[in-house]
Amino acid sequence: MAHREVLSPPGKRVIMLGNVAIARGFLEAGLQFAAAYPGTPSTEIVEALSTASRVLGGKPYVEWSVNEKVALEAALGAAIAGARAIAAMKHVGLNVAADPFFSSAYLGVDGALVVVSADDPWMWSSQNEQDNRWYGLHAYVAVIEPTGPQDAKEAARLALTYSEKYKRPFILRTTTRIAHTRVPVDTGGIPLDKLEPRGEFHKDPARWTLVPQYARRKRLELLDYWDKVSEELASFPLNSIEGGGDVAVVGVGLGYRYAREAVRVLGAEDMVTLYKVATSVPFPRPLAEKILSHDTVLVVEEGDPVAETQLKAMAQEASAKTKIYGKRGEPLLPRYGELGLDKVVRALAKVTGKEAPKWALEPPESLEDKLPPRPPVLCPGCPYRGFFYALRRAVNKLRLKPVYSGDIGCYSLGVLPPFYVQDTIIEMGGSIGAGNGFAHVLRGDNDIAIAIIGDSTFFHSGITPLLNAVYNNAPLLVIVLDNHTTAMTGHQPHPGTGIRATGEPGRAMSIESVARGVGVEKILVADPFDVKDSEAKLLEALRYVKENKKPAVLVAKGACILVALRTAYRMGVKPVAYRVNLDKCTGCGICYTVFNCPAIHRRSDKKAEIDPALCTGCGVCAQICPFNAFEPVAEPNPEWFKIMRTAKPE
Amino acid sequence: MARDVLNIVVTGVGGQGQITLARVIAEAALLNGVNAIVAETHGLSQRGGTVIVHVRLGNADAPLIPPGAADALLSMELIEAARYSYYLAEGSIAVVNDYLVPPPLPGVKIPEPSELVSMVKTRASKLVMVPATQEALERGDVRVANMILLGAAIEAGALGDYVDLEVAEKAIENVLGKAAKPNIAALHRGAELARTKQ
Repeated sequence: MAHREVLSPPGKRVIMLGNVAIARGFLEAGLQFAAAYPGTPSTEIVEALSTASRVLGGKPYVEWSVNEKVALEAALGAAIAGARAIAAMKHVGLNVAADPFFSSAYLGVDGALVVVSADDPWMWSSQNEQDNRWYGLHAYVAVIEPTGPQDAKEAARLALTYSEKYKRPFILRTTTRIAHTRVPVDTGGIPLDKLEPRGEFHKDPARWTLVPQYARRKRLELLDYWDKVSEELASFPLNSIEGGGDVAVVGVGLGYRYAREAVRVLGAEDMVTLYKVATSVPFPRPLAEKILSHDTVLVVEEGDPVAETQLKAMAQEASAKTKIYGKRGEPLLPRYGELGLDKVVRALAKVTGKEAPKWALEPPESLEDKLPPRPPVLCPGCPYRGFFYALRRAVNKLRLKPVYSGDIGCYSLGVLPPFYVQDTIIEMGGSIGAGNGFAHVLRGDNDIAIAIIGDSTFFHSGITPLLNAVYNNAPLLVIVLDNHTTAMTGHQPHPGTGIRATGEPGRAMSIESVARGVGVEKILVADPFDVKDSEAKLLEALRYVKENKKPAVLVAKGACILVALRTAYRMGVKPVAYRVNLDKCTGCGICYTVFNCPAIHRRSDKKAEIDPALCTGCGVCAQICPFNAFEPVAEPNPEWFKIMRTAKPE
Repeated sequence: MARDVLNIVVTGVGGQGQITLARVIAEAALLNGVNAIVAETHGLSQRGGTVIVHVRLGNADAPLIPPGAADALLSMELIEAARYSYYLAEGSIAVVNDYLVPPPLPGVKIPEPSELVSMVKTRASKLVMVPATQEALERGDVRVANMILLGAAIEAGALGDYVDLEVAEKAIENVLGKAAKPNIAALHRGAELARTKQ
């Protein structure tokens, strides 16, 4: 069970990841219901809550939902029935869940509802940079931001408490460096008697249905609420004012930590009034009035200029002459990427006239262009490597011109050389969705559209576009890479695994039967650790799509090697590594160029060598070497080959 | 940077145990009553990609160390040591695992270890090389290489007065639980390796 520290006794100071602190904060507020789809940087919140639920006997109720829309709908349903509920997701997850999210603002709740949006500036693990505080402004949902990992727990606790007080949904918005930063956290008590997931629904169609006659009234109520909460959030407990200098520095969310340290670095304590703001949307009007009484204001916030834009609008309405600096107009802070102490120190030095230290004025240059890049790659032993190798061979054999419609998951790494099997990457489920379009317009004799999607992503949003492909008869090959887990986010279970968030058995859904259910007529299963089998099945599937002009599904089933290694370790099964027989190796390079396993290195004489620290003993190199130069260092363990194909997360 | 903050950059290749290494340092600092902030790399970057973890001990607020302001660099790998050496401040210490993982990109030119070492030396005033992975493989568990590096870093003075071997032992027990024993042994072996180098 991960993140056990979430249940540390009260009154302790414990080091916790920001996300675990958020989970703790929700528990301290009496959380009863949590739903999420994993996504970096949000995943550990519900991971930690699932640990709590396991230990506390199903309190609170915790689930991995199939996607963010369902997670938010489930949490909203529970909250309408009076429960204190949360739904957690990465920033783009809220795009998936936007529909119920907007409705939730109109409906309100009977219990509490917090939507956690974990934003990822500079896209460490995401397809875009998206500041979801705009969603708050757009949907009229108030946004709470922890002012750093240091008060993430309190921010979460207060967000749930405020939602319960106002009977309205709240967003808790974090960014990567709040979510994935570890700091000491002071624990409070968890009200165990309040965690039980029990609700009661009070029938009231005027309240709970959004037909036009009710929705119109709710629109007006929502605007009234917005005006009211804009006043009242000024006294939110995590907002404060420090110092009394002429220059106002507005530290919003994590921006506060950078601003606070920058003031110290510059020794500008006497010149600055530091406004700590954890309620960025709506920007509290009374706080704005105080800020606009200064002549000079610097707004420090991570993401888009959301607080800055509101402040500038309010300055205009009040005819204030205040000069407001930030990311708009004459930007003092960059409009992309993450904040950094050097950037904030430079901006603050500009508005205070203080002298910045050398590391901030002349930051040393990155050495990136002097060194080989090291992008993330498929792990040694990843089932996708052998399968991609077979895929390229099969496509070449049939002289096809494929368009690889890609998706979000570890297989996105197939974008890199030598595989090049992700021609487009759009969003979750987009491989099959866009594949529909490719299939209908790529009409050359050798053209073929191939959608490549993972198991968890398939359950998330691959089923409806597959149904669409059947309905509209799109000649599309859909490859589902089934490694029995949501691998990229750290091995969460999904409907295909038959395991639920709290470790209880659920019903395992097979991808083949789902495909059959939506009407796919040709369904094949391949073993990605067997290159010959994969190639044969791929040839059969490709020929079927070309000849019959209909969709086909091929499921490649092999475990994520990281889960397999962990399982083997637990079972006392030791994988046997491979080595190169240098007498047989001719230095042809197929293994370290075309197959490209990270455990196989090129020697200076072009022959191959295996790094024993990296080899997982998957044995696929022995299948692809034309000279049989790879051999196990000892008799391979058949148990390991079985685990490699079947292991699932606990 | 201010004297009351110690900035440590921990780097390596995803999967080499940088996060655990940083967690142990933070836990040890907390046991000594010192504030710690550890900004980690998760998700996509962990798949064999480059990893940097920012560890800040003492009176720090912000999660990230700015380039040019790190007091110490602990690296599990040579290319990654060179890549992030620009984070080092003047007078800083680098403790580096003598281990090179070529990025698995076909046709990419791999620099010589000596070139990488001299890149680190242009920034660090003191460099301690430790054969942590080799030593861990000899001990039969490559996963303890990070604790060998930690032992060497403590011995080399990279963690200042904030963390010593004794408190690091306790921190390993707290963080790793049942797996602590071989890791504590690795910690001491690392310290010994650094001692014989000096």
